[in-house]
Amino acid sequence: MTATLIDGKAIAARMRDETRAEAGRLTALGWAPRLVSISVGDVAAAELYVRNQQKSAEAAGVGFEARNYPESISLEQLQGVLAGLNADPRVNGIIIQRPLPAHIPVKALQKAVHPMKDVEGMHPSSIGNIVYNDLTLGPCTAVAAVEILKTLPLKMEGLDVCVIGHSEIVGKPIAFLMMGLGATVTVCHHMTRQVAVHSRAADAVFVAVGKPGLVRGEMLKPGAALIDIGINRIADSDGNTRTVGDAEFASCAEVAGWITPVPGGVGPVTVAILMKNAVLATQLQMEHYRTAFAAAV
Amino acid sequence: MTAKVIDGKAFAANVRARVAEHVARLKEENGLVPGLAVVLVGEDPASKVYVKNKHASTIEVGMASFEHRLPTEAGEAELLALIDKLNADPAVHGILVQLPLPGHLNSELVINRIDPAKDVDGFHISNVGLLGTGQKSMVPCTPLGCLMMLRDHHGKLAGLNAVVVGRSNIVGKPMAQLLLGDSCTVTIAHSRTKDLAEVCRRADILVAAVGRPEMITGEMVKPGATVIDVGINRIERAGKARLVGDVHYESAAAVAGAITPVPGGVGPMTIACLLANTLTACCRANGLAEPEGLTA
Repeated sequence: MTATLIDGKAIAARMRDETRAEAGRLTALGWAPRLVSISVGDVAAAELYVRNQQKSAEAAGVGFEARNYPESISLEQLQGVLAGLNADPRVNGIIIQRPLPAHIPVKALQKAVHPMKDVEGMHPSSIGNIVYNDLTLGPCTAVAAVEILKTLPLKMEGLDVCVIGHSEIVGKPIAFLMMGLGATVTVCHHMTRQVAVHSRAADAVFVAVGKPGLVRGEMLKPGAALIDIGINRIADSDGNTRTVGDAEFASCAEVAGWITPVPGGVGPVTVAILMKNAVLATQLQMEHYRTAFAAAV
Repeated sequence: MTAKVIDGKAFAANVRARVAEHVARLKEENGLVPGLAVVLVGEDPASKVYVKNKHASTIEVGMASFEHRLPTEAGEAELLALIDKLNADPAVHGILVQLPLPGHLNSELVINRIDPAKDVDGFHISNVGLLGTGQKSMVPCTPLGCLMMLRDHHGKLAGLNAVVVGRSNIVGKPMAQLLLGDSCTVTIAHSRTKDLAEVCRRADILVAAVGRPEMITGEMVKPGATVIDVGINRIERAGKARLVGDVHYESAAAVAGAITPVPGGVGPMTIACLLANTLTACCRANGLAEPEGLTA
């Protein structure tokens, strides 16, 4: 293996320390950051995520309340719940856990979160801000992937970047974030004729498709950075399940200059970004409150 | 020269005629008249010409046109109050605030005050995000016009390599989103791109929107590619003022498979798409099916 392994856990820990300091400062001003997580119906699917977020929140000095609503709740009732949370000054950020029951369209809920409390960066206006290069609250996974790349000794301006996967919450926001940093970005997806032609021309490759083994070593330019956002559970020949990314790790590590492992790469940083967003959102709300109601303070 | 010339004037006339048919149908079947309100603040001579043209085109397709003029010194509160009034007016389906606004007015604040459903320019931050997440939105007129011409020329765009040169909020970025929406492999190149010629030569579809006269030359074009030139630059040549695009027309046309001229290419499509957007907004506001082929 020639690639340097990127330690997502260490990056996340550094971020959490910074977030903790910020959270402490806000708490001292009477604005202790606090998140509310909403899950609906069967908790088992989201439980691991919620628990991870709760742990990370504790470590970052951010309050965390997990709420679970019954499967039978209607969209209108949930929108009512969100309206209440939007109005509650002691709530600074709202997380909508997925999966949701079929009768609850996730986009309708994301739209109902106040943009200033949108710590997941999923509200259309949050995405719009990313496109317009105004990074306030960005989608956590995309921001995490870009923040990881920024820790490497690469100049972002003029960097040739290939994003494989054009999902609305990961691939596309990464493309716009990187473009905002001055990179030349190519977005590939399932209709792309020859992904390798594009990926081999890139100094950095992001992959977020959900297909194990999609990126192989021969698809990379020697020395390139590979940020693997995929999380796939596969069963090996012994019947054990393990988590792998979208890249074939062994062959890619022979060619790449840097590579993120799965697990332990983008995942931990994503949760750290969520906490960073919680603190940012609290800061925004404090400033908004002061302009609106307490200009003299 | 080998390239097919894409006649934007004829194409735009066709779009306007289709819009007019839908307007007539809405009137007859639903008793509806789509209405476009244009707000002009100040006395900028170019803006006045644009507003006049928009008014005439709106009337021509049978829509209602509402013009609102405010003096240069109009305050923010006055302008926002006008927008609130237009947002609430059921006869107004589209609102366009002519840019640029006088320096003392914050255009971002003003644009984001428009009801996103009536934002026929597609500049409201929610529309930007909706387009970015593949949801129904109001799509900015110029890139929408380019998309229509590309679909017409190619049929399906899926799998084609598209390169957009320029990353502006009003053309480059939405253009990239639209091409991704049609399943192109999209590269966005710009002033910081290391080897622009090399990147452009990969393109089956090359969209130039940089605002630099004749910067894209023939040797940057892949043989047979479709070249869409969004640039409109006034230059002086041999003592005469003339309009040129971002593409060096003669050399590019010798290589390309199809190309839009300047003037007479993308330009005429912008107002046609503004009318199409107003029609779409009217249909959506009344729960009617959107006219086919006139939106993304």
